[in-house]
Formats: sequence, C-alpha cells, structure tokens
Amino acid sequence: MTNRFKNIKHIARKVGMVKNLAFIAVMALLGVVLLLDIFVVEKIFGLLVYLYIVLGTLFILYGIPSLYASRRLIKYYWQRASRNRLAVGGLAFILFLILLAIIGPLFTTDPTAANFEEKNLPPVGFTLEESVYDIKTGQFTTHRITGTGEHPVGTDDKGRDLLAMIISGAGVSLQVGLFATGIAIALGTLIGVTAAYLGGKMDNILMRFTDIMMTFPFFLLLVFIVFIFGPNLVFIVIVIGLTGWTGTARLIRSESLSLRTREFVMASKALGASDNRIILSHLIPNVISLIIVIATLSIPGVILAEAALSFIGLGDPNVASWGMILRAGQQNLDTTWWVAVAPGVMLFLTVLAFNFLGDGLRDAFDPRSNI
Amino acid sequence: MRKTWLRDYIIKRLLIAVIIAWAVLTITFVLVRVGPTSPADKYLANLAARGQDTAQVVAAIEARYGVDRPIYEQYINYIVNLGRGDWGWSLSTSMPVTELIKTHWIYSFQLIFLSSIFAALIGILIGIYSAVRQYSKTDYIATFFSFIGISIPNFWLGVMLILLFSVQLGLFKTYYDTSLPLLSLANLKQLILPVITLGTGMLAGYTRYTRSAMLDNLRKEFVRTARAKGLPERTVIGKHVFRNAILPLITIIMFDLGSIVFGGAYLTEIIFGIPGLGQISFNAIFADDYAVVVAVTVISAFLILMINLITDITYTYLDPRIRYD
Repeated sequence: MTNRFKNIKHIARKVGMVKNLAFIAVMALLGVVLLLDIFVVEKIFGLLVYLYIVLGTLFILYGIPSLYASRRLIKYYWQRASRNRLAVGGLAFILFLILLAIIGPLFTTDPTAANFEEKNLPPVGFTLEESVYDIKTGQFTTHRITGTGEHPVGTDDKGRDLLAMIISGAGVSLQVGLFATGIAIALGTLIGVTAAYLGGKMDNILMRFTDIMMTFPFFLLLVFIVFIFGPNLVFIVIVIGLTGWTGTARLIRSESLSLRTREFVMASKALGASDNRIILSHLIPNVISLIIVIATLSIPGVILAEAALSFIGLGDPNVASWGMILRAGQQNLDTTWWVAVAPGVMLFLTVLAFNFLGDGLRDAFDPRSNI
Repeated sequence: MRKTWLRDYIIKRLLIAVIIAWAVLTITFVLVRVGPTSPADKYLANLAARGQDTAQVVAAIEARYGVDRPIYEQYINYIVNLGRGDWGWSLSTSMPVTELIKTHWIYSFQLIFLSSIFAALIGILIGIYSAVRQYSKTDYIATFFSFIGISIPNFWLGVMLILLFSVQLGLFKTYYDTSLPLLSLANLKQLILPVITLGTGMLAGYTRYTRSAMLDNLRKEFVRTARAKGLPERTVIGKHVFRNAILPLITIIMFDLGSIVFGGAYLTEIIFGIPGLGQISFNAIFADDYAVVVAVTVISAFLILMINLITDITYTYLDPRIRYD
C-alpha cells in the first residue's frame, strides 16, 4: 500500500517536472527563434504567432490539466449556467463571432480594396440623396443612391465593402480579447497565488506593487505607453495584458488565501509535496472556475480598450479594427452614418454577449460573490 | 486606544501614499527614457521640415530638457522640478504646462462632476427600487437596461447621440462652445450629451451595485427586527437598509472614478471637443508634446491616489469594524 502510494507520488512529481521542463524548453526554443527572427532572418513568423504559441503552450501544459482535474465541477457549473438563457445566448453569439472571424473572410471581398466608383453606398434598403457638382454645366445635380445586394452593409468613403471590413475587424477584436486577457490572467493568477501562498514579506511586496499599478488610470496609462512606444497591434495587446492583471491578482489572492488553510492543502504539505506542486495541482485547479469567470468578464474591457485606442487614432494603422472603422465613420457622420453605426453595433453586441455569459457563469459559480 | 490606532493607521497610509506617488513618478520617467525617441527627436522632425537649423535647435532643446546631463541628474531634476511646481514647457502651445492645466482643468471637472451626480442619483434610486421590488417586472427591466448600459461602448454612444440629436434632429451643436460662461444654462445645455455619454456606463454600474448591496442588507436580521417593531417600510428601507448599504457603495463609486471614469472622460472630451485635460493630452500626443502628456498622466494618477487615500481613511473612521493591519 505504502509502496503503491509512493509510486503514485513519484509519478506525479515526475509528470509535474516533465511539464515544467517542457514549458521551459518550448519557451527557450521560441526565444531562439525570436532572436533569429530579429537578428538573422527577415521574418519567420508574425509576432502574433509567437503569442499564439506561448499562450497555447501555457494552456495545454497548465490550463488543460487544471480543467481536467476539475471537470466534474465545471460540468456542474455549466449545468447551472445553462439554465440562464441570456448566458447561453451570449455564448451562442460568441461562437457565431468566432466562426465569422475564421470562415467569413473566405466569402467576402478584400476589405482593403478601394473602389471609388462605389463609394458611400448605403446599406440595403436605404437610399441617400447626393448632390454632385458638374464641371461642364456648372450646376449641382441631385441623384439618389440606393443600397445594393452586392454590399449589404454599404461601403465607406473609399468604396470599401463595410461587411468585409466588419468581418476582418471581428478577428482583430477577438484576438485582442483572447491574448490580452490571456496574458493578464496568467500574470494575475501567478502573482495572486504566489502572494497568497508565500505570504509575509513577498505578499506585501507583490500587493504594494499591485497598488502602484492600480493607481494609474488604466486607459491613460495605455495611451501614455502607446504614445511613447508607437502603435503596433501586438505591442498594444501585450501592454493591455501587462497593465490589466491587477484586479485578477487581488481576487485570486483572496480566494487562494482561504484555500491555503484548507485541510487538503495541509494534507498535501504533510505528505511532503513541494510548494510548486501545491500551487500547480491544488491551488490553481481550485481557482480555475474563478479564473474562467474573471476571464470572461474582463474580455469586454480589453476589446473596448483596443477599440477606444483605435478610435482616437492611436491604434495600429495597418489593422482594420472596429475602432478604426468607427473613427472613419465619426468623421463623415453627416453623410455616411452607417459607417459609424455598424462597427459600434458589433462592438456593443460582443461586449454584451461576454457580459451575459460572464454574469451567468458567475451566478452559477457563486451567486453571492461580487466580482 | 482606538484614537491612537487610528492616528497610526493614517500616518502609515500617508507614508504608503508617498511611496506610491514616488513610484508613479519613477515609472513615468523610466517609460519616457526607455522610449525609442527622445522628446527632442520628434520635435526636431517638425522643425527640420520647416527648414530651420537643426544643430542649433538640438542644442537648445537638449539644454532645455537637460538631456545632455547624466541620467541620475535628469531623474533628480525631474522629481525636484515637479515638486517645485515646474511641470515643464509645452512646445505645441508655447506656455508652461502648469498654466495650460490651470486653464483647462475646470472643463474636465465640470464634466466628471455633473456625470457623477447624474449617475449616482439616478443609479442609486433605480437600484433601491429594484432591490425593494426584487423579481418584479420593473426589476427585470432595470436589470436588463443596466446590462445594456455597462456594455455600450461610451465613445460609440457619444457618436450615436451626436448623430441622432445634433446631425439628424439639430437639437444640439456638434461642438462644445468655450465662449459661453461656465455657470450658464446654455453651457449646461451643451453638456447634456457629454454627461449622458459619460454617465450611462456609471449609472448602470451604480444601479447594479446598489441593488446587490441593498439585497445583501435586506436579508439581515436587524431588518426583520425593525419590521417586527412595526416601523413603517419607508423607515426600514431608508434608515436601516440604505444606511448600511451606502458605505461599500461609496467605496465602489470612488474606485470607479479612478479606473473607469477618467478614461471615459478622456474619450468623451475628444468626441465632443470639450477642452479639458483629456483633450489637451490628446492634442499634445499628435503634436509630440511630451511635457503635457506626462503631466496629465501623472496628475490623474495623483488624483486617484488622493481619492483612494481619502476614501480609505474616511471609511476606517466611519466604520469601527474595519481594521487594516
């Protein structure tokens, strides 16, 4: 019996070690590729690919085992959450949006293709009166432009198809939400759990640092950093991730503090488990449902932050995000109102969907908590 | 006993605030220094484009900014100058930054002040009503609209309000008129759309907070006692429940002011052309005017620091149960 138990412990420790080693190996490999990318070769991957790989490895090595460990709990929570119709609706919309972002571009025209013949076309079912000055006759001629089925949401002042732009913008917003939240959650969880578990001086230092970060108004800090370092989508995502972890860290810390003194953690400690193991296989799996809720509820803020940056002209000029389209729409509000309406509606529905889903999950998880 | 403890707490809290203030200054300094371009570089490009002698300008700007001196000396100068009230020179507007801020802060203040009052008054009232009539039709409607309120991007809401009320209906001017006196009805009228833009998200948030804070307290036993004593429902809700719910509510409102409202005001000012701190920082960004951008960021951080400090101390003073160690 004891022998078998020892074996299990041994294997578990080994698996944990292999996992950490694998993570370090992947990161090292990625670092080498990145260095090669910067100094030797022109371009191996886009910067976004690096983010995909880092977060993907993090998720596969640490996220999936934690999710798997608490699968029954999650299933139970989901059963409760699925009773909330708004939450299910939110999830359906998010899935639809993901599908739209992935396969939508295959069916639409090039969102960047300008065509001045077809500029300022209103959406289907709307007509617009346009006065054109004719140089030959020297008179204004008024003619009506009707929306066509070819451009169901209309076109902007450069004749670009708005639907195609919206669909490509969906991909941008979702990626921003995913990566920035991923970075923020990973950092926040790490800092929160470490502070709670180690306690004492370390806790004090980490929490004071959190206080300092919280003192900066989030959006102003974002504007400040983008102003200094220049607008680049990947950079903006990383900055949002690096500045947005504070709330998560606090919540995870307080949750972990109460977990730390529970019996199963004590038992694990008494059996000689290392700090590393207790954090990875006892604390994190137990805060994973909280992490899911925080992630769902913080994605809207992140998407909005990027959209707001693009809206005021500090976004990546090479990426047609919703904020950017909205900015163009605001400048021609008196003629092409649909350019301002369409991206905003999508932004609003996306944020609403994440809020509904997050709220439903939170209620299922703990109806009395105040996240 | 409590008095000395409170005094110690306040002193400790003040010390921490000073350290955080210093950290905020240091972080901004480091960020500016680490950045790929120096203040001179960006401004130079503008001047060179106008055909001025760059060598002369470089020397002048570097001397003005003190970039030619060693880094630690620059750092000390930066902190000392800020402490003395010398916040630098705004290149794009040709005046001291302090002067610029003195003329513009009032516009931000009136926007944030009016929006907060609007949001807090209506939000708290709806929240109370919603909690007292929990699960009624009104409650569902209020909850649904508060969801919409917190989800609607405020900059888009602003654009839509302009589109509907200014462009289509012509009820309001599309741009803020600074020539109107601050305390006039005309000024109040042109602030209606900006206040709705900034206030809607806050209002929805306060509705939700109030509702949940009220519900928490409605379940408590002292409420049952108060009702059993035969107190009228009005007194029970107003005096017993609301008074207990208001304290955490104020903390949340104060916290929101820092994290959400400042960013929202920044955007609202840009959309409506209100010449507040957000607008001058925004203009400074596109004119590469470092001193102004740094000043606005630091001032906002300091304001939040002060708001948090005051909230914490009042909270501790008012609620004898609170103990921070």
